[in-house]
Amino acid sequence: MSALLSVQGLTVSTGGKTLVSDVSFSIGSGERMGLIGESGSGKSMTAMAITGLLPANISVTGSIMLDGQEVVGTDDKHLNRLRGVATAVVFQEPLTALDPLMKIGKQIAEPVRRRLAREQGRVTRLAVDREVLDLLDKVALPQPERIANAYPHEVSGGQRQRVAIAMALACRPKLLIADEPTTALDVTTQAEILKLLDGLVRETGMALLFISHDLPVVAEVVERVMVLRDGIAVEEGAVADVFGNPSHDYTQTLVDAARVFDEALGRTGS
Amino acid sequence: MTALDLSSDRPARRHSLALSIGLALVGLNVAVAILTLFCTPYDPLNASGGRLEAPSLLHWVGTDRLGRDYLTQIMIGARTALIVGTGAVAIGASIGVTLGILAAFATRLLDDVMAATLDILIAFPTLLLAMLVVAASDSASLWSAILALGLAISAIVARLTRILAKRVLRQDYIIASRTSGTSWPGVVVRHVLPNIWPTLSVNFALQFGLAVIAEASLSYLGLGAPPPNASWGRLLQEAQGTVYTAPVGAIAPGIALVALVIGMNLLADGLRDVGDPTRGRSR
Repeated sequence: MSALLSVQGLTVSTGGKTLVSDVSFSIGSGERMGLIGESGSGKSMTAMAITGLLPANISVTGSIMLDGQEVVGTDDKHLNRLRGVATAVVFQEPLTALDPLMKIGKQIAEPVRRRLAREQGRVTRLAVDREVLDLLDKVALPQPERIANAYPHEVSGGQRQRVAIAMALACRPKLLIADEPTTALDVTTQAEILKLLDGLVRETGMALLFISHDLPVVAEVVERVMVLRDGIAVEEGAVADVFGNPSHDYTQTLVDAARVFDEALGRTGS
Repeated sequence: MTALDLSSDRPARRHSLALSIGLALVGLNVAVAILTLFCTPYDPLNASGGRLEAPSLLHWVGTDRLGRDYLTQIMIGARTALIVGTGAVAIGASIGVTLGILAAFATRLLDDVMAATLDILIAFPTLLLAMLVVAASDSASLWSAILALGLAISAIVARLTRILAKRVLRQDYIIASRTSGTSWPGVVVRHVLPNIWPTLSVNFALQFGLAVIAEASLSYLGLGAPPPNASWGRLLQEAQGTVYTAPVGAIAPGIALVALVIGMNLLADGLRDVGDPTRGRSR
């Protein structure tokens, strides 16, 4: 079986410091996987390594096969053809992930235009505009015309994250990488965005790599998780197994912490 | 637009006032410069007036030592100033922005070399550089002055562009755009240039003003456009000897020079506020 994404022995290091050490996992088409761990555990490094966008001073070894193409060591020009086609990314901070001087509609239009050019070879302004409004509608933004004409600072944080998701969807990627997409949002908005992501992933059938430090959040959207600690994969398996019966002390600590937090908040409150 | 907009009303109005005054001053200058292409009150070489006449209905700003109409010469000086400013900034901007963007993408070593070179160039006085270029060329001409000032400006613009572009390239939205498949040239055109433009354009206007002043200085020293091309700097130099008997000859080109430079700066300020949607918007 050839997986959509197959990571083998991935090691990321910089200046003699190892950030990710010998991590291996794979994601099949339409599969949803979570990558969890605390800050600095190498989650985001792993994600950026998959897109091949780590800065030049960070060295990557091992193998990342993405949609039949080796990512490690491939030059940027070739990798750029994979970006937006095989993968798209939703980032943690929805304000900084959007160009502050570009209208939202225009930002979404760019990946749309590239995809239409790729798929049909011909791009009309009308088709792009229609697709942009359609995408804004799909991520449940009210008044798509108004939002398309607004600048990022004119809409709320939750709305910005919806825009970021719309931009990622505009690519129709085979794999969506969501790097802590709900961390910067308040609890209510978090739940809405999660529901939206979950629904969209199911609807479009794309695979999902969900990165988070938040166990309940991860458990809600993925089938399988991998737990990272200090760049080392300590545990991997189905969500129910890993969280229900953690085999590693570290996972146990994470699960306990989440439980204590939940109890403190009060189940009914959240 | 709405009654709730009270808080942003005041800054918005102030910005648009700066823009209006700037537009008026620069617009007047441009209009006069264009007008001189078609007609002037007198032929600039016509020395039919009396020597050092005071302002009158016939000669609104008086006449110079040779009996030539001052107003005519100041109007043609406006054209010279605009040509110098536009030419120097165009040269400086095209070389400077290109170098700055390249430096922002260059490897560490190359970038350091470029940064050091630019710093040395900038440390070299603009006027001295311009004088050297003009002296090196066969004859003093407007074009060698423009080229010299353009080169000096390009170093300043390159350094600014490099810093601004580097800052923009570190932003999350650049990575976000890259992950969706935008190429580096695409990133430069769609994200880097629009995001550094508000700051760059202000600098361009500032450099425009400085270029106009530098050209006036060169002309004052006799290194600018040779006679009979009128330049404010040369008018000032010619009026120097008679400044006590006929002060208008020195005051008038001085006012024209200051008005254009101030107008350019106000215009830049106004444009920056209009161009940046996150600042107070004029509605």
